[in-house]
Amino acid sequence: MLEVKNLMVFFENALAINDLSLEVKAGEFVGIFGSNSAGKTTLMNTIAGLTLHKQYREQRKGGERITIVGKILLDGEDIMLIKPDYRVKKGIVLCRERHPVFKDNTVHENLLLGGYLRNGREVKESIEFVYDLFPALDRLKGRKSGLLSGGEQEMLAIGMALVARPRLLLMDEPLLGLSPAMQQEVVRAVKRLSQEGLTILLSEQYARPIMPLIDRGYVIENGTLIVTGTGEELMDNPEVKAAYFGM
Amino acid sequence: MTSSVLIFGLVNSAILMLTALGFSLIFGLSGVANLAHGAIYLSSGYVAWIFLNSLGLPYFLAVPLTIVAAGLLGAAIYWLVIMRVRGLGLSEVIATFAVGVAILEFFRWMGFVTYEFNLPVLIKGSLDISGVSVDYQRLVIVGVGILMAALLWLFAHHTKIGLALRGMAQDEYTALSLGIDSDWAAALSMALGSAIAALAAVVTLPLGIISINLGYEVLIMALAVTVLGGLESITGLVVGALLLGFARTVTGTYFDPKWMEVVYLIALVLVLAVKPSGLFGKYKELEERV
Repeated sequence: MLEVKNLMVFFENALAINDLSLEVKAGEFVGIFGSNSAGKTTLMNTIAGLTLHKQYREQRKGGERITIVGKILLDGEDIMLIKPDYRVKKGIVLCRERHPVFKDNTVHENLLLGGYLRNGREVKESIEFVYDLFPALDRLKGRKSGLLSGGEQEMLAIGMALVARPRLLLMDEPLLGLSPAMQQEVVRAVKRLSQEGLTILLSEQYARPIMPLIDRGYVIENGTLIVTGTGEELMDNPEVKAAYFGM
Repeated sequence: MTSSVLIFGLVNSAILMLTALGFSLIFGLSGVANLAHGAIYLSSGYVAWIFLNSLGLPYFLAVPLTIVAAGLLGAAIYWLVIMRVRGLGLSEVIATFAVGVAILEFFRWMGFVTYEFNLPVLIKGSLDISGVSVDYQRLVIVGVGILMAALLWLFAHHTKIGLALRGMAQDEYTALSLGIDSDWAAALSMALGSAIAALAAVVTLPLGIISINLGYEVLIMALAVTVLGGLESITGLVVGALLLGFARTVTGTYFDPKWMEVVYLIALVLVLAVKPSGLFGKYKELEERV
């Protein structure tokens, strides 16, 4: 479904992604693991088109020079120069890091915004699914999302991405800053989504609860691919064990 | 005297609210402090005059055409000028101010400087309210002001596009990741704000003569109301307009009409010094931009 080939991203002269290639097949759950500044967020933003948008914006105002090289293929079509909204139309939806929600809007309004490009019937069905996946959101649907806890905001952020009806769901560090109980809740939801056949590419620093669930994973450091393999292979890898499981 | 102050205070408040509504909408939805607002307001007055007098169009055709033309002008200003400097606050301010001055001075250069330019009222005649004679046009202004504030609130809270624009104003990158195009949203908010400025022009300009300097005065009025009430808040806008409208009327009635224009400037300075985010504002951005 998704192929990233020899991707390189520079911010001025700083190399954020270095000749990185990866693949996500339809129905797969693929993990990207790495420490802070490994390039996970840049990779996710580049696949979703946000880096391209920032590049245009910076070019227009003569700001930071951003260079993107390589190929991103969705079902064989090169989407490198396609704007973020068209990528969403094609089914690539990113749930950004740090549970971003529209804080002045209610939970239900946020979910409606998630379905901005979808028709009324699709939005209604998707919101029902989200309330089933996260019953807490159903109870909180009239509350302003800025008043939710971090964990509830993360559920909402995932819900918004789901209402956009992704074919490929990108999740950037969904466990970041959450309590252990909330992490379990998010992991449970991600596991269910994967079991129901949704294609997921998830980046995470905290690998322990995610690695057992993935079909395949990539470990990156300083924007460079270090190790790849199935979830089991990664968990058996001594370097990965030392770095992510403290063993 | 009290009835007069109440009635004309309300009318002045409605005028202020209508003239500031477009400016506030654009800033609230796209973050752009559109200093060309006064010029768009005034040019709408001249365009309406041209439609009515030079082209001989009927009033009920000239007004919608003027509003559409202003909307297109606003979108064009975004695509041609603001988009190039989007995200650079000071550059946005300078660029929109330059566009505004260019538009106003274009009309001056074209010879729109005499006293023959005025727009017709929607309904002629007046009404006696508690012994105070109020012309129908002023009542139209109050009605249009209330209607526009209500419609805008409904638009922002209960339509898909309104929600998307509010979302974009809060977090551009999250909105983008859900498929909302930020440039389209900003251009739309510029078009809407400019169309509202045109509506304000065609209902308020019949109270006097259209002159170039009005473009600069309207910009100061819009800034004063928006800064006083606070950004991104229709409630703040209404309260700001009421406070300034009544302050202006009281000043003109009990002191000296020549001090009426100073009220805006005093309000601007006081608010920026005491509570920079305004009475109902959440963000302290405008004072950093202006």
